[in-house]
Amino acid sequence: MRFESPATVAEAVTLLNEATGTVYPMAGGTDLLVRLRSGFVEPDLIVDLKRIDALHMIVQEADGLRVGAAVPSAELNEHADALAGWPGVCEATGLIGSTQVQGRCTMVGNLCNASPAADSVPALVAAGAIARVVGPNGTRDVPVEEIPTAPGRTSLKKGEIIESVLLPTKPAHSGEAYLRFIPRTEMDIAVVGVGISLTLDDSGICTDARVGLGAVAATVLLVEDAAKALIGTKVDDAALDALAAACSAAASPINDKRGTIEFRVEIAGTLARRAAKIALARAQQN
Amino acid sequence: MALTDIDHQPGISFSLNGKPVRVDGPPSERLSYALRERAGTRDVKVGCDAGDCGACTILIDGNPVCACTTALGQVDGAVIETQAGLFAADPIAKDLAASFQRHQAAQCGICTPGMMVSAVALLRDRSKPDQAAVEDALGGVLCRCTGYRKIIDAVMDCGGTTANPVGGVGTPMARVDGLPKVSGTERFADDVAAEGTLVLRLVRCPHHRAGFELGDLDAYKLRTGLDLILTVADVPGDNRFGVIPGFEDQPIFADGETRFKGEAVAAVVGSADIVNALDLTEFPVTYTPLPHALLPKDAAGIGDMHKGRDGNVMCRGFVKRGDASAALQSAAVVAEGSFSTGFIEHGYIEPEAAVARRVGDRIEVQCCTQAPVMNQDGIAILMGLPKESVRIIPTAVGGGFGSKLDLTAQPYVALAAWVLNKPVRVTYSRIESISTSTKRHPSEITMRIGADADGTIVGAEFDGIFNTGAYASWGPTVANRVPIHASGPYKTPNYLARSAGIHTNTAPSGAFRGFGVPQSALAQEPLYDDLADALGIDRLEFRRRNALRNGDPTVTGQVFETGMGIVECFDVLEPHWKRALADAATANAKGGTVRRGVGIAGGWYGCGNTSLSNPSTIRAGITLDGHVVLHQGAMDIGQGANTVIAQIFATALGVPVDGIDIVGPDTDVTPDAGKTSASRQTFVTGNAARLCGEAMRARILRLANVSGDAEISVGDGAIRVRDDGGERLFPLDTLTPDNATYVLESVESYDPPTLPLDENGQGVPYAVFGTTAQIAELEVDLELGTVKLLKITAAHDVGKAINPLLVEGQVQGGVAQGIGLALMEEFLPGRTENLHDYLIPTVGDVPPIETLIVESGDEHGPYGAKGLGEHCLIPTAPAILNAIKHASGARVAHLPATPDRVRAAILAQTQSPSAKN
Ligand SMILES: Cc1cc2nc3c(=O)[nH]c(=O)nc-3n(C[C@H](O)[C@H](O)[C@H](O)COP(=O)(O)OP(=O)(O)OC[C@H]3O[C@@H](n4cnc5c(N)ncnc54)[C@H](O)[C@@H]3O)c2cc1C
Ligand code: FES
Ligand code: FES
Repeated sequence: MRFESPATVAEAVTLLNEATGTVYPMAGGTDLLVRLRSGFVEPDLIVDLKRIDALHMIVQEADGLRVGAAVPSAELNEHADALAGWPGVCEATGLIGSTQVQGRCTMVGNLCNASPAADSVPALVAAGAIARVVGPNGTRDVPVEEIPTAPGRTSLKKGEIIESVLLPTKPAHSGEAYLRFIPRTEMDIAVVGVGISLTLDDSGICTDARVGLGAVAATVLLVEDAAKALIGTKVDDAALDALAAACSAAASPINDKRGTIEFRVEIAGTLARRAAKIALARAQQN
Repeated sequence: MALTDIDHQPGISFSLNGKPVRVDGPPSERLSYALRERAGTRDVKVGCDAGDCGACTILIDGNPVCACTTALGQVDGAVIETQAGLFAADPIAKDLAASFQRHQAAQCGICTPGMMVSAVALLRDRSKPDQAAVEDALGGVLCRCTGYRKIIDAVMDCGGTTANPVGGVGTPMARVDGLPKVSGTERFADDVAAEGTLVLRLVRCPHHRAGFELGDLDAYKLRTGLDLILTVADVPGDNRFGVIPGFEDQPIFADGETRFKGEAVAAVVGSADIVNALDLTEFPVTYTPLPHALLPKDAAGIGDMHKGRDGNVMCRGFVKRGDASAALQSAAVVAEGSFSTGFIEHGYIEPEAAVARRVGDRIEVQCCTQAPVMNQDGIAILMGLPKESVRIIPTAVGGGFGSKLDLTAQPYVALAAWVLNKPVRVTYSRIESISTSTKRHPSEITMRIGADADGTIVGAEFDGIFNTGAYASWGPTVANRVPIHASGPYKTPNYLARSAGIHTNTAPSGAFRGFGVPQSALAQEPLYDDLADALGIDRLEFRRRNALRNGDPTVTGQVFETGMGIVECFDVLEPHWKRALADAATANAKGGTVRRGVGIAGGWYGCGNTSLSNPSTIRAGITLDGHVVLHQGAMDIGQGANTVIAQIFATALGVPVDGIDIVGPDTDVTPDAGKTSASRQTFVTGNAARLCGEAMRARILRLANVSGDAEISVGDGAIRVRDDGGERLFPLDTLTPDNATYVLESVESYDPPTLPLDENGQGVPYAVFGTTAQIAELEVDLELGTVKLLKITAAHDVGKAINPLLVEGQVQGGVAQGIGLALMEEFLPGRTENLHDYLIPTVGDVPPIETLIVESGDEHGPYGAKGLGEHCLIPTAPAILNAIKHASGARVAHLPATPDRVRAAILAQTQSPSAKN
């Protein structure tokens, strides 16, 4: 197995593109190294992205905040602009593992690991985040919900990595929130995760909403019906009931020791309702 | 191929604890391994290799991270600090170490490096963090011993100055063996092998049950470059081990057929780099899966796994007193129900490990164990050697809780080292540890209890089926103990209890804090709530009314004239109970989906072996130069035997405890203090220590010809004796020495008095019972089914608290395990074999725990002390279930009470109005 630590994105892309066999980029390694060790993965090449300075940036751009692929969660969660503008995304990345895991893990790694239960992804989907993909054929911008395609699979092509994620700036009176459900108080895999972002007009009517739902299907879902349930309403009880029903309807989870199918379906709705209330309160303050 | 790649990679350079180092290893290697095995920092612990336990936490450029999820290649140029380095160089770490000592925040100490390193990072950031910040910083580090609260206290009190008192019986002194644990120098079983020691790994069967054939082992050995392959053919002695006489049924290597998933069929031995890189799925063995049973109900259909155990029934237990069926028929109210619990994994953070070396015709094994002499016996039989040829030198033990009583890793390295005449080491991976070590028995219990109209229990019937797994281990103990305890600490004049241990194709069930008693309490205590509710009697009052008092016969007809302390436990809880109920009522009056509940439960536990001799021996001596040396063979697995036994001995001899040198367990130099289990060490070994101290004191007083209350001091080559008549000096070199080591030596034994049980289970099974009652306060989110614990209040009759600080530690640790049992833990073979699927409580799951110590004394115990270890968790889970019922109206009878089950129970109860009361 080869292990390379390039200093630039271009070098990383070249290494990944030219290598044969199984190749992996590695950011924090908190997913990859664990899989490596349990024998599920035996790569021929690992390309460490953490040494690429350009990937460590968090920069304010005209249309949003750009977060580099090597930024550890711990750092993102101390970034004042990120916390103020994207509390839902920060809530989600702040839930990944423990302090000890957050010192290394990245939001982009969480996305590219393509686990249906990944915490940051429903929040990123709700925030309308855009991944910047760099590869041998140049750069393209892709909505995050199009990155994971199946558990453990992404739409990235050979030689491509995600360089950064853009969190688009929100209109006034917008708010977002992320809630997840786990059986233990911390350090556990989501049974259900819900990210909600919504925007109100001056009269308090919801004009836009996005709902990301995790751990209840093979990939994180962008639930259009759930957004429709909120748009045009004052996010009152009736709208919340419709939201919950839409989320439960969208959920097609599996039975496992963390929760039965019926339970997960029900919790998807309950949690969505609670997340929407938090997002609403935030929108009302912004 | 991997090796050639390494060759052209340069070494990785970084700063390690202030010194520049260069480490040669594959850059994708986990940093935890490289630091331990290549850079020698063995204070970095490995509990899971998957980011789940935090034991490997180090600082990289000041940030706490898991070394096991970091690649060596990623730290080129980094600054790395570990516990030992921090302790040596950082004043914050030194203060923190002192605070850990004061608060007894380290029990076994295996989690301590991760805890301290994480806390140092926090304390560097802010010197007085609040509790939430501490919990956040420690959230990724698991501790199975302490229940976390003392660790939180220690971090928040870092820099504090109050010193613990030092003294004998009754003094809350810090552990005598604490410093290595808080300074990074403690050595556990995986920490003692010399560099270059050969490594052993086990080839384990992936099926629940299978026949198998081995292929061409010689060719495999040659191709892979191994030094040795071991299979059943290489076992020189009798290929079976066990812990109960007559039930030695477990082979170290399966012989033609495996009986549970993970059973070993072979071992490979070679250099670390070769053995660790092997893909053992390529090992030449072909399996033929056989019909298997994972549940007792299916066990009769798969053929007998052990000769003479018809229908795979290992054994049964039985206790009968009066006429239970008649009493239940005439009872005013009867509560009944079916209850079940699953396999519970011990989840110590230190996986099983051992290293062995051959010394002439003897074999020496260093290992983490709770029972060195039993290990010695077992290895001698497996290897066909006389017992004297086996020496067990225990290392520090990173948690045991019952599972490190049985042999696990030891025989393999003993055999390999014997054959190769070279040292050999083995360490189980977390997955091996969870999938093959013994478990708490799953239980299926039905119980009926009846009371008369004024709330007096008239009778109870109990039937318990226990899944004992593929081999007996401690299964017979569970089958015997449960019927004796299933009444709870309550007067039950008419009683019938039956138990059965059934073999299935799972890891063996063995000893785990309580030997089946926590499971039976999970049936009896909820039913007590049902009876109290049906009769309209307060739940605490109902229990107190029925609690055993001095002079009352237990269900085996045993009568204690003194020391039955359960009534006092309820008495001291009463004000807390009233306060908690009032708080809950106030909170619930506000309405909402989150409801508060309060639950109570009692428990009892007989200390020591059931109706069997279980002696302990303590040896002590005074050297020529005036050192008092205590040979203390009771394994300290974190519970504090080293400290407690020393305190008892010091008090008996009448010398300061900090002047005593302790020689730990080593089968060559320290006599047998029995096993650390069944809450017996303080009581049994403590009594031996008392007798030994008293005997030595008597000899000295005789020497000086003075009265009993003279003061003794030893030191500077002399013994001084002082009384009203002044001081007399006895230079040790003027006395005729007892032997070459000691001028004065005493060796004393103690065996608790018990009597055999008759055919109805009547008799005197234990010399002493410890009793306890606990209150759980919690909130249930009715919509989500989640349970948030608010407080546990634990009353414990310990007879006499030898060390109140250690008592609190035991209670809090036991309560935390009870929380896991109640709310989240369940081992499912093949499914929950690591610490992210098998969940144990984290710091956020354990609420404040208030310990109320009751001292009712004891007829036999040293200074009136009883044992404590097991009792702590018995009432916790039932108190939690009773509180869930109080909060939500829903009874969860099948554990763990995970949110989906709680929610389902809430839905079921709202849907069926008949079940509402
Ligand atoms: C103890 C523990 C607890 C955890 N708890 C949680 C949790 O609560 N919630 C949760 O969601 N996850 C959890 N995880 C999983 C993991 O920590 C997260 O998914 C994390 O965000 C992964 O980030 P990373 O940088 O470490 O990824 P890595 O392990 O470095 O990479 C993950 C995957 O993404 C690929 N990849 C990484 N970066 C890029 C890139 N820039 N471009 C393309 N591909 C890339 C890698 O090739 C790999 O396949 C936990 C893990 C551990 C060990
Ligand atoms: S060993 Fe690294 S987290 Fe458990
Ligand atoms: S002291 Fe924490 S695991 Fe033993």
